[in-house]
Amino acid sequence: MTTLTVNSPWRTALARPAVWISTAAVLGALAFGLLLIALLGVPVVDAVEAFAEGAWGSPYAVAASLNRSLAFALVGLGFVLAQRANLTNVGGEGQIAIGGIVATAVALYGGVSGLPAGLGFVLPALAAALAGGLWGAIAGVLKAKVGTNEVISTLMLTFIAVWMVYGSVQSEQLLRQPVSNATTLPESLEIPDPTKVPLLTGDFSMPLHWGLPVGIVLAIAVAVVLNHTVLGLRLRAVGLNPVAARRAGMAMVSSVVGALFAAGALGGLAGAFMLQGEQYSLKTGFSSGYGFDGLVVGLLARGSVTGVVAGSLLFGFLRSGGINMEMSANVPTALVVVIQGLIIVTLAGAAHRMDKKETPR
Amino acid sequence: MSHDVLEPARAAPPAEAVGAPALLTLAGMGKRFGALQALADVSLELAPGEVHCLLGENGAGKSTLCNLIFGVYAPDDGEMALDGRPYRPAGPADALASRVAMVHQHFSLVPDLSVVDNLLLGQQTRGVLRRRECADRVADLSARYGLQLSPHARIQDLSIGERQRVEIVKCLMREPRLLVLDEPTAVLLPAEIAALLDVCERVADTGCGILLVTHKLAEIKRVARRATVLRGGRIAARSDHPEQDLDDLVRAMIQRDKSPLRPRERTVAPPPAGPSRRPEPALMVDGLTVRDPDGVVRLDRFTLLVEPGEIVAVAGVEGNGQGELGAVLSGLLAATEGRCFVAGKEVTHATPRALTAAGVGIVPEDRHAVGCITGMSVAENLFLDRLGRYRRFGLLDRAAMRRDALALMQRFDVRAASPDVAFGGLSGGNQQKAVLARELTLDGLTFLLAAQPTRGLDVGAVEAVYGHVRAACERGVGVLLISSELDELLAVADRVVVLYRGRVMGQCPADAAHRDRIGAWMAGHTE
Repeated sequence: MTTLTVNSPWRTALARPAVWISTAAVLGALAFGLLLIALLGVPVVDAVEAFAEGAWGSPYAVAASLNRSLAFALVGLGFVLAQRANLTNVGGEGQIAIGGIVATAVALYGGVSGLPAGLGFVLPALAAALAGGLWGAIAGVLKAKVGTNEVISTLMLTFIAVWMVYGSVQSEQLLRQPVSNATTLPESLEIPDPTKVPLLTGDFSMPLHWGLPVGIVLAIAVAVVLNHTVLGLRLRAVGLNPVAARRAGMAMVSSVVGALFAAGALGGLAGAFMLQGEQYSLKTGFSSGYGFDGLVVGLLARGSVTGVVAGSLLFGFLRSGGINMEMSANVPTALVVVIQGLIIVTLAGAAHRMDKKETPR
Repeated sequence: MSHDVLEPARAAPPAEAVGAPALLTLAGMGKRFGALQALADVSLELAPGEVHCLLGENGAGKSTLCNLIFGVYAPDDGEMALDGRPYRPAGPADALASRVAMVHQHFSLVPDLSVVDNLLLGQQTRGVLRRRECADRVADLSARYGLQLSPHARIQDLSIGERQRVEIVKCLMREPRLLVLDEPTAVLLPAEIAALLDVCERVADTGCGILLVTHKLAEIKRVARRATVLRGGRIAARSDHPEQDLDDLVRAMIQRDKSPLRPRERTVAPPPAGPSRRPEPALMVDGLTVRDPDGVVRLDRFTLLVEPGEIVAVAGVEGNGQGELGAVLSGLLAATEGRCFVAGKEVTHATPRALTAAGVGIVPEDRHAVGCITGMSVAENLFLDRLGRYRRFGLLDRAAMRRDALALMQRFDVRAASPDVAFGGLSGGNQQKAVLARELTLDGLTFLLAAQPTRGLDVGAVEAVYGHVRAACERGVGVLLISSELDELLAVADRVVVLYRGRVMGQCPADAAHRDRIGAWMAGHTE
C-alpha cells in the first residue's frame, strides 16, 4: 500500500480495507437492526423517523448527540494512547467518575466561582483531569512496580470510583446537598454558574459547550503525539517490545505510568465536561456507562485517532436516536444496545480480515 | 578401533558390532530447510538395550535428526526402519503409536497442573480422569527406574530436573522401545545428571533403545555403548568404544573443513606511548557471580580484562553461563556478586541507558527479543537508542532520520527496500548488520559485547559482521565476543576464555593450535 497520496485523500481512505470493511460492518448491523424492529411489529418508517428526530432532528438533538460523542471520544482517545504502549485501559468509567467528583467538589467548594477570565470553569476541569490522571496512574504504578495486570486494576479502580460517587452524594459531609426534608435527593447542589462550561451558542436550544472544540484540539494533539513525535515512537517501541525498548534505554516505569496517567486525565476531563457542561450536579449514576462505551470506541478504532472520532460520533448519535426511538416509537432502547453489540462483533470479526489485507503501520 | 573413528561418513554402519538385530536403522537420511542442508546422508543403527550417544556442536543437526525420528519433520531423503519394518512416522502421534518416545529440549508441561494431570493430558482423551490409577503407575515407574517424583506436586513448584523426570515418565508410561533424549543434561546439575544417567541405564536394561544427544564427554564415558558425531549435518565419526575414543570424538566434533574467515592479522600492539593512551581496560569484570532464582550458580566468580583494541572470545557450549554473562553486561540481569567496569567506570548495576552513556555497545544474543523491534521500521530500529536526536520543534524529524538511516545502511551494507520498511521483513543477516550498525555507531563506544553475533547467518554475512567488529577494534574498542562457533572465534579473537558450568575452564591465545585444548575445555574435560 503506497503511502503517497496522489489521489484525493478521501479516495485513498476509502480504498483502505480498514475503512470500507468498517463501513460495511456498521451498515450491515444497522440493516439488521431495522429487521429486528420490523420483527417487533413496529412500523419501520416510524422507528427510523423517531431515531432521526432524536439523533439529529433538532439543534437540541444534535447538541445532545455531540456531547455524548465528546465523552466517548475523550475516553476513546485515552484508550488509544495507552494502547500504543500495549496497555489496555478499561477504567474510563471510573476515571469519568473521579473527574465528576473532583469537578463538583472544586466547583462547589473550591472557591473558584469568583475567579476572573474563565478560571472559574477551567480550574475544576483541570483538577478533574489531574485527578483522573492520578487515578489512572495508580494502575500504572501497580503495573510497573508489582506487575499487576492493568486490565484488572483499572477495572477494579472503576468499581471503587463509581461507588465513591454514590458515597459522596449520600453524605452531607461530602458532596450531598443540605437535607431539608425527606424528599431531598441524594445529589450535590447545582454548581454555580461561573463554573459551568459556557455554551458555544449561548442558548439552551442547542446546548453545545466549549468542551467540543477542546475535544477536537485534544484529538489532533493525540494524533500528532502518536504519529509525529519521539514520544509516540517510544510508546510504540515500549508497546511492541518492552525488553528491546529497555535495552535501548527507554524508561519503562515512566512510559507505563505516563501513558495511563494521560488516559486517565482524558477520562477525568470527560467527567468534568459531563458535569460542568451538561448535568451541573453530581448524582448517583452520574455516568451511565459512558466510560465503557468510550472503551468500545477505543477498541474499535484499532489505534487510530480518526477511528476514535468516527466511532464516537457513530455511537453518540446512535444512543441519542435510540433513546428517542423508545420514547416516541415504542422501540425498546435495548435494541440500540443490540445494534451496538452487532457492530462490535462484526467489526471485531472484520478485524481479522483487515489484518490479513493491510499491515498496520 | 580408535583409528577408525575418523573414517569418512560413508563408511557402512557397524552392523554386527553389537550382535543383536537393529532396533532402529537410519539409511542416508537427509533434510533441507530452505537453502540450508541440515542433514545429509546420515546412517545410523541402534540395537535394543543400547544407549547410543549423538554428539555434535550447536547446529550440527542433532535436534533435526531427533525430530525426524520422532516424526516432527519428514525426511527429504533416506529411509528409516524400526525392528526391520519400514518406519515413516507422519507425525509425533504416529511415532508414539510405534512406541517411539522423545524428551525435547524444551518441556511441554502445563505449569499450573499437577504431575498426574500433566501425564493424563497426553494419555486420556475422555471420561473421568483416572488420577489414582495414574498415580499408582507413577509410583511404580518411580520405583522401577529410580525416578523420584511426587505425583501430586504442581509442575511450577518443581525444579528443572524434576520437570524433566516428569517428561521421562510421560514417555515411559507408553512403554517405548525407543527413547530419544534431546540434550537432556544441558539444563541439569551434576547430581541430577548422574541420576538421569542411572535412569537411562535402567531403561536400557529393559531392552529399550536410547538415543542420547549430548555434548558432554563425561556422560559418554559413563553410559554410551556407541557414539556418533555429527558435524555440519553429516556424520563426522562414529565409535563402538566411545570410552576409549574420547579424544578422537572431540576432535571430530570441533573440526571444521575450512573456516570462511581469514585469520586476523595480529598487529603487535605498540607500547603505551605516554599518558595519552587510555590506561583503563575497556572492560574489567571482577568476580562476577550469578545465581538463578533457585539459587543455582550460573556464573561463578568470573573475572576478565578486555584491553582497548582487543577481541576476547568467551567460548563454551550453550548454557554454561555465557547467556548470564551477556545479560549482566547488557544490564538486563542483576549480578549476585562481583563488579563490572567499563573504561574504569563502574557499570555493575547500570541501567541500559547508563550503559549506553558509558559507551557500551551490545549485540544481543536474542536479536528478536532484545536487539530490535520487528514491528517498527528499519530507520526507527537503527536509531532506537537515540530517537531524541530526531526532534525538531518538538516533532519527529522523519526526513533527517531517513537520511541518516540511508547513510548508515549504505555504510554497513544493510539491504532493505527503504528505511521505512518493517524491520521484521529483513533477512537475518541484514537485521544483524543493522543492529551492529546501531551499536557500532554509538557515541563514545569503548566496549562492544557481541553475543552469538553470527548465529543463523550465511557465510557472506558472517564475514561482513566480523569485518565491522574488527574495524571497531582497530579504532580502540574492546570487544567481548560470546560464541559457540569455535572456528569463528579462533579466526577473529585475540584470546579465548572457555566457560564450563559457569566457571572459567581455561584461557589461551586464539590460535588454531589450541583448538583441541579449547574443545576439551568446552566439553568439561580438564587435561
